[in-house]
Amino acid sequence: MDDLLADFVAETREMLEASESEIIAWEADPTDRARLDTIFRFVHTVKGNCGFFDFPRLAALSHAAEDALADCRSGRRDPDAALVTAVLAVIDRIVLMVNAIEAGEELGEEGDDDLIAALSEDAQPAEPAQSQPEATSPVHGPASALLDESDDSQFDPSEPKKTEAPITQRSIRLPVDLLDRVMSGVSDMVLARNDLAHRLRQAGTQPTIDGPFERLTTILADVRDAITRMRMQRIETLFSALPRLARDLSAELGKQVMIDLEGGDVELDREMIEMIRDPMTHIIRNAIDHGIEKPSERLANGKREIGMLSIAARQSGNTISIVVSDDGGGLDEARIADKAVATGLVAPSERAAMTREKILQLIFEPGFSTADKVSNVSGRGVGLDVVRENIEKVGGSIKVSSTLGVGTLFTLQIPLTLSIIAGLTVECSEQRFAIPQSYVEEIIHASSKALDFTRVGETALVTFRGVRVPCLMLTDVLTLADGKIAEGQHTMVMLRLASGDLFALAVDGIHSHGDLVVKPLSPAVMKSGLYAGSTLLDDGQPVLLLDVTNIASQYALVSDARGRVLNAAQDEAKEKAQDTCRAMLFSDLFGRRRAIRLELVQRIETALSSAIDLSGDAPRAVIDGVILPLIGLPDDPVTTEKVRLLRLTDGICEILYAVHAIDDAVLLTGDLKPAGDDPLVEAITLVEGETVALMDGHELFAQFGEAATQAAKPVCRLPDTDWARTILGPLVATAGYAIADGGEAQEDVAIWFDDEYEAAMALDMDFNTPVIRLRDAPDAPKNADTVYRYDREGLIDALRNARSVGGRG
Amino acid sequence: MEDLLVMAQIAGRRCAFSAHDVQSVIEIGAITPVPRAPDFIAGITAMRSQALTVIDCRCALGFDPAAWECDHRAIVVEVAGYSYALRIDSIEEITVAMGDTGTVPGGFGPEWSRVATGMIETRIGPALRIDLAALIAGPETLETAA
Repeated sequence: MDDLLADFVAETREMLEASESEIIAWEADPTDRARLDTIFRFVHTVKGNCGFFDFPRLAALSHAAEDALADCRSGRRDPDAALVTAVLAVIDRIVLMVNAIEAGEELGEEGDDDLIAALSEDAQPAEPAQSQPEATSPVHGPASALLDESDDSQFDPSEPKKTEAPITQRSIRLPVDLLDRVMSGVSDMVLARNDLAHRLRQAGTQPTIDGPFERLTTILADVRDAITRMRMQRIETLFSALPRLARDLSAELGKQVMIDLEGGDVELDREMIEMIRDPMTHIIRNAIDHGIEKPSERLANGKREIGMLSIAARQSGNTISIVVSDDGGGLDEARIADKAVATGLVAPSERAAMTREKILQLIFEPGFSTADKVSNVSGRGVGLDVVRENIEKVGGSIKVSSTLGVGTLFTLQIPLTLSIIAGLTVECSEQRFAIPQSYVEEIIHASSKALDFTRVGETALVTFRGVRVPCLMLTDVLTLADGKIAEGQHTMVMLRLASGDLFALAVDGIHSHGDLVVKPLSPAVMKSGLYAGSTLLDDGQPVLLLDVTNIASQYALVSDARGRVLNAAQDEAKEKAQDTCRAMLFSDLFGRRRAIRLELVQRIETALSSAIDLSGDAPRAVIDGVILPLIGLPDDPVTTEKVRLLRLTDGICEILYAVHAIDDAVLLTGDLKPAGDDPLVEAITLVEGETVALMDGHELFAQFGEAATQAAKPVCRLPDTDWARTILGPLVATAGYAIADGGEAQEDVAIWFDDEYEAAMALDMDFNTPVIRLRDAPDAPKNADTVYRYDREGLIDALRNARSVGGRG
Repeated sequence: MEDLLVMAQIAGRRCAFSAHDVQSVIEIGAITPVPRAPDFIAGITAMRSQALTVIDCRCALGFDPAAWECDHRAIVVEVAGYSYALRIDSIEEITVAMGDTGTVPGGFGPEWSRVATGMIETRIGPALRIDLAALIAGPETLETAA
């Protein structure tokens, strides 16, 4: 709780610093709406954060100021000098209180009510604020008990409990750019080390140098790991505050909410966690305030008394998706639509054309709030629009889906870091450029007939999903010499702007795709308005990152915001009509996003890394007692304890594919663009706006497939002797057989001692399974179909043959 | 003044950069051109994990770079938080300034006056002191600023 409090103090300070100039500007001109909004957000956030803690006085003050400012925003009240003074006095008091909280002192009670009274117009006494302290303290009972410990150490410095503080992990706040500097310093060190290693190799073995150099390498690897972790933080740090928030809110609102957190071990950029903290808090407040019903109502609707709020974080490639779902009342489409029409967000005619999903997304539009009454908890316009704005600012997105009466589900997609983005490297006139993957909708080779490349006047057009889309030639945009590629033979990268507009960018070819570490460019280069940054390719060559939005607006390809809702709806309808094939998405051990046709995936296995055998010429792994070829391993040894394996089959052969993580099964809706360089990649396609390499099943099995081994373990019956059980049994098991224990109706192969077999034959016993006959003598009698009992090779051969003859599948 | 100076030839003239401003001198490797950037920006190049903007000083002053030889080394400087690699005719040596930066009546000619802060005497003769910010701004800034 101590760090939470410290965070609260620091955040309030930071916000205050940021809005200081706004406050002064507002004082000069009280009618300035933009300034008013800023200050409103400040008090709103303070009020919101108070929800975390037991600070009724702070909450009362900020709530009162917020009320007064909200009246100004809605035009119910004109801001005048008296109000400005009162608000500023409140802000000053907030600063004092925050200082007191930090110092662990109690600030004198007197004066708060005067300040609150000063805020109110004569006609509008700030009632809710007055009642606030009394309202919160009783319901806070159980929660503040939790706080007791930290409260004591915070507020009573003389209390000996303070000495317990060192138990908590010590932490300091650091400016992010210092971290960045350390990080880039370490990357430089790694490059220098690589250079040195290269030179050392050239110079030959020098034991006196090699030893320390090895040590340096190890240390560097450690440091690098630590530095990366410095920036990354488990999302747990964000989650840990949520149960408390949910508990307090639900107590305050007389609701019962159970919170379920999942995926707390997902790591993301520290800075990113800070960026999504507020939006997350807001969504959760919303869910509890508006989503989950009162217990009585829930019971009446046949639901459990306790509402469920589940928050799950998942990493998929470069993005983290956070899903916040509640089993509350859900969103009322009609009410949202009515409200949107009433506030002029959409025209009545447009409303009819909108899908339910589109209508639901309107809750993220500025100026939209369905909360009919203003509460302490959430809602009056500073709301989901700010949430969306903040999430989009960091390159993320937010979506809502909901079923009326069943619940609501918010899905946030957030990039892992701010400085590493997924990108596509394209080639144009023998120069390479990078495009952020988030813009890429699809990659199409222009020679495909469907594209229908034409020129109307000077403008090039292509047909994409039945719509003519403007096409920019990257050579023209960059005034490069036209390449060798004839017009109409270019590769088209379909780019979707944030506004929903689509255009095609003609390039000579696709080079690669992967994570790009984006570095800023100097102002002189930025001035051209074409580039967003630079990045280094693996070979150290710098590459320019294209500023897609700016290029599009230079060519007037960005439409106004109005059309976008409808356009997007049309596009979606079209997407559904596409032919599809299903594929499994995964990231391999090199961190690349890959897909494989779902039909090929037989099972997902998790194996201990000790099951991997690297001793042979090709890696193998033992799964269920079957030795299978293993591909997809990186050159350096696997360090994790367990490995995820995709078990692929073409019906006859099986291959294991080591992967980092399995993502999801998806429909491949995008066109498949053949990829030339890697024979194992059949094509590159797009899944949810990111390129994915689709593995070539044919090539995989052609290269790595091996003679049939069955998926299900065949059963082998052994002679009923101790020798068979203890000596023969293990051998048979390693060959991939299960030992019959008498329970099976049918074995696949039976092993008999030759003498017993002959005896059984003599009794006309029916052998409906292949039989391996063991003899005791090493030398085989003529024409004998028997195997010497210690002829390991012979036995394994015989078992293998038996399986291909009589086994299942 | 015990100010250390890095001496270089730009467009056949001797120029002096304060050693304090010079981060390093690098062998210039492959330069990635930047299409549609002003001519004086030769491109970007990589120094370790950093991307540098390569400025051709001759171009930035308004001279024809083809008329002069070009050193395979470049001077790396940092201006306003960004790093630049300066391409020049040749890097001469590091020396000590003798006396203060002074002016010459009549100026240094139109191209040079924009970027020169004055003349400085060094052990190997007089040189122009270069204002890095003005040099990196390139020739256009005069027109756009006006």
